[in-house]
Amino acid sequence: MKSRHPIATVAVMAAVVLLIGCDSSPKSDPATSAGGSPASTLVGDIKIDGSSTVQPISDAIREGFIKIHPGVKVSVGGEGTGNGFKEFYGKATDISDASRPIKVGEYEKCEAAGVEFVELAIAYDGLTIVVNPQNDWVQSLSIEQLQKIFNGDSAAKKWSDVDPSWPDQEIKIFSPGTGSGTYDYFKEVVAEDDTLRGDMTLNEDDNVLVQGVAGNKFSIGFFGVAYYAQNSEILRAVPVINPEIDEPVLPTSDNIASGKYAPFSRPLFIYVSAESLNRAEVQTFVEFYLENVSTLCAEGKVDYVQLPESIFERTLQNFDAVATGTHFVDAQGQSRKGSFAELFTDKNLNSK
Amino acid sequence: MNQPSNPEIPPATAFHPNGPKPATIPAALASDDEVQTASNTRKRKRLSRWFYVLCVAIASISVVVLVVLLVSIGIQGHSKISPDLVNNAHSELEPEQSGMRPAVIGSLLVCGICALAALPLGIGTAIFLEEFKPTHWWLRKLHGFIQLNIANLAGVPSIVFGLLGLTVFVYMFNLFGQIQVNKPSGLELFGVQHYYQVLSLEPGQTILIPQTDMEQKTITIDRPIQGMDADGNLFDIARWDRKSGPKPTDRSERLRTVKEGAVGGSYSQREWYYFRLPFGRSFLAAGLTLSLVILPVIIISAQEALRSVSPSLREAALGLGATKWQATRDVCLPAALPGIMTGAILAIGRSIGEAAPVLVVLGAAVAKNGGPENLMDSAVTMPVLIYNWAGRPQDVYQQLAAAAIIVLLIVLLVLNSVAIYVRQKVQSAS
Repeated sequence: MKSRHPIATVAVMAAVVLLIGCDSSPKSDPATSAGGSPASTLVGDIKIDGSSTVQPISDAIREGFIKIHPGVKVSVGGEGTGNGFKEFYGKATDISDASRPIKVGEYEKCEAAGVEFVELAIAYDGLTIVVNPQNDWVQSLSIEQLQKIFNGDSAAKKWSDVDPSWPDQEIKIFSPGTGSGTYDYFKEVVAEDDTLRGDMTLNEDDNVLVQGVAGNKFSIGFFGVAYYAQNSEILRAVPVINPEIDEPVLPTSDNIASGKYAPFSRPLFIYVSAESLNRAEVQTFVEFYLENVSTLCAEGKVDYVQLPESIFERTLQNFDAVATGTHFVDAQGQSRKGSFAELFTDKNLNSK
Repeated sequence: MNQPSNPEIPPATAFHPNGPKPATIPAALASDDEVQTASNTRKRKRLSRWFYVLCVAIASISVVVLVVLLVSIGIQGHSKISPDLVNNAHSELEPEQSGMRPAVIGSLLVCGICALAALPLGIGTAIFLEEFKPTHWWLRKLHGFIQLNIANLAGVPSIVFGLLGLTVFVYMFNLFGQIQVNKPSGLELFGVQHYYQVLSLEPGQTILIPQTDMEQKTITIDRPIQGMDADGNLFDIARWDRKSGPKPTDRSERLRTVKEGAVGGSYSQREWYYFRLPFGRSFLAAGLTLSLVILPVIIISAQEALRSVSPSLREAALGLGATKWQATRDVCLPAALPGIMTGAILAIGRSIGEAAPVLVVLGAAVAKNGGPENLMDSAVTMPVLIYNWAGRPQDVYQQLAAAAIIVLLIVLLVLNSVAIYVRQKVQSAS
C-alpha cells in the first residue's frame, strides 16, 4: 500500500504510537478485589510531599492503602523537608513529610496562610556518623569533637587537629545537601546557632556519600541509618558519646528507640492539614498510616525504627483530638530547646 | 615532500622560460625514476593505511565505550529483566516485584505530546525561515530575529527549559491562581464534577453529594440532604445518631445512612478530557516543556533538509506557474521529508531520555500505579524512575535501575526503528 500523502502516513503512525502509549489497563474490578467483601467506594486525591527520608515510608503506606481503597489516588513527592513545607503552606499538599520538626519561620508562614495542621511523629531515624573501615584511630566521637570537625570556618583541617594522637592527614567530609532535613538536623545538633563548615563535599544523593566515605581512608560522613544498614560492609559507624550518660553508643535499632543514641536519634513526622482531615479519604489514609507505620518499621519493611509506645501514644492523641499546632515552637514564637521526648508532650502543644 | 628532486639536473636549465630549449628531455625527466616512484607510492599508501586505522580506532573507541556501558549495565541489571519489570508498578513493600509499567506509559505519553507539539511548530517555522524569505523590512527583521534566537536556544541547557516550562505551563504565570488542595483548581473548563464525600455507616462505603457552592469546602450533615448513588440517581440520605436507637442492620439501608453531624470534604470527579488552566504538574505540561527543549533541534535540521532540496526542482515548479505554497507543499516538503524526519527522530530520542526538565515540571513522585487518567493527571517517566531507584540504598533497586535503563534503551530503539521504517516507506512512496 503506497500512500500518496507521506505526511498523512507520518501522522497516522504518530497517532498509533500515542494510542499504544495510552493506559488501556482495566481498572480493578470493584466486585473482585479485597477478598470477597465488597471493595471500598472511597475516592479522592491525596497529595503528599516533603522529606525524601520519609518518602519511602509514605510510599509503603500508600501501597498498602490503595490495595484496600483502589479509588483513592495518593501521590508522594520527595522534594525535601523545607520544600515540602513551602508546598504545604502554599496549600498545594494535604500532608507534609518532614525529617525534622517544623521551624519557627515555617510555622509563622502556616499561620499567616491559615493552614492549621496536626503534628504526628511516626518513626525514628538514627543519624549515623560513618568513617572508612580502615580508619583505626577513631573509636568514638563526642559532641565536642564533632563540633571541632564540622563547625564553622575555623574547623579542624586535619585529624591531628581534633586529637593530637590521630594521623596528620586532611579530613575529607561528605555531607547531605543543604536542602535536606538531615543536614538541617545535624546542623541543629552540632552547630546550634553557628554554621557548619562550608568546605564539605555536599551531595543530595546519599549513595554518592557512601561511595565517598568508602573510597577514602581519611574521610567521614553522615546520613540516615538506612544507608548505613545497606552498606555496613564498606562503612563503619562511629559510636557517639551520649552527653547524659557519658558513654559511646552505636546507632542500633534498640539504642535509637530507647533514646540512648542521643542526640542523633531524630524523629520523623507527617504534618496533616486540619482542613484536609475533614475529607473522608484523608482521614482514612492517616488512620491507616498510624495503624501500620510501627509494624512496617518493626518488620523491617522500611529501614527506620518504630517509636516507643509512650511517644506514639501522643501522636495518636493528637490525631484523635485533631489537636492542631506544634510542640516545637512556643507561644512567643521561639523554637523550644530540649530532647524530643521532653518536647513532644501535651503541655507543649502550642496552638492558636 | 613527494616532488622528485634530482640534483643532477638544475631546474634553471630545464625549465627556464627564456633559456635555450633542450633538444631532448633528459632521461630522468622523461621517465620517472622507478625506484623513487615506487617508494613514494609506498609512502602514500602507508600514510593512507595509517589514516584508515586512525579512523577505525576513533570510531571503535566510541563503540567500545558504548559496549562497556551496555555490558556493565547488563551485568548489573540482567537478573531483574523479567515480565514483572514491564507489568508491575514501583513497589516499596515488595521491591523484588517492582516494575516500571506506569513509567513506560508515562514516558510514551509525554513523548507523544512533545512530538505532537514540536513537529508541526518546528517544521512550520523551518518552512517560514527557508521557503518564505520575506521582503518587507520588518518581516526581514523578524526573520533574522527568529533565526538568531533559534541558533542560541539550541545551546541552552535543558534544566533552563524545565524552569521555563514550570513558569509557563505549570503555573501559567499564576494568571489562573495556584492549584491548591481543598478547592477547585484554577480555571476548570470541562470534564469535572464536584461532590462532597461522606462516609456511610457501612465501612469503606461512601456517599457522594453533588456540590453546588464551590466556596463551601466541607459539608456537615445535620439537615436533610440528597446524595447520589452509583447510577447517578439522587436519594434522600438518612441520618443516624446514637440516641435514635441502634445502627440499622440492613446493608442497603446502612449504605444510605450517615452519622448525624458527619463531615464531608470536596471531591472532584474528572473525565479523561478534563481540562483546566493552569496545567499544573501534569504530563501535558511535561510534554510541552520537552517540546521546547527539542524545538530548536527540529527547526535547524528541518531547515537544513529544506535547504538541501535542489533549487532546480523548486524553480521548475515555480516556472510551471505553481504558487510558492504549492511548490513548497508538493515539491520541497516531500523531497525534504526524509531529512526532516531524521532530525525529528534524533530529537524525540533525546526527549524520551531527558530527566532534568521532567523532574522540575512533574516533581519526584514515582509511586503511581498506572499512566495518567486525564489530561491534567501527573505521570511518572522512565528517567525520573531510574533517577529515584539509582539513589536508593538497597541493592535490589540498584539492579532495578540498571534493568530499567535497558528497557529505556529498548523503547528508544523500537521508537527509532519505527520512525526509520516510516521514513523509508515515505522515501520510496514519493
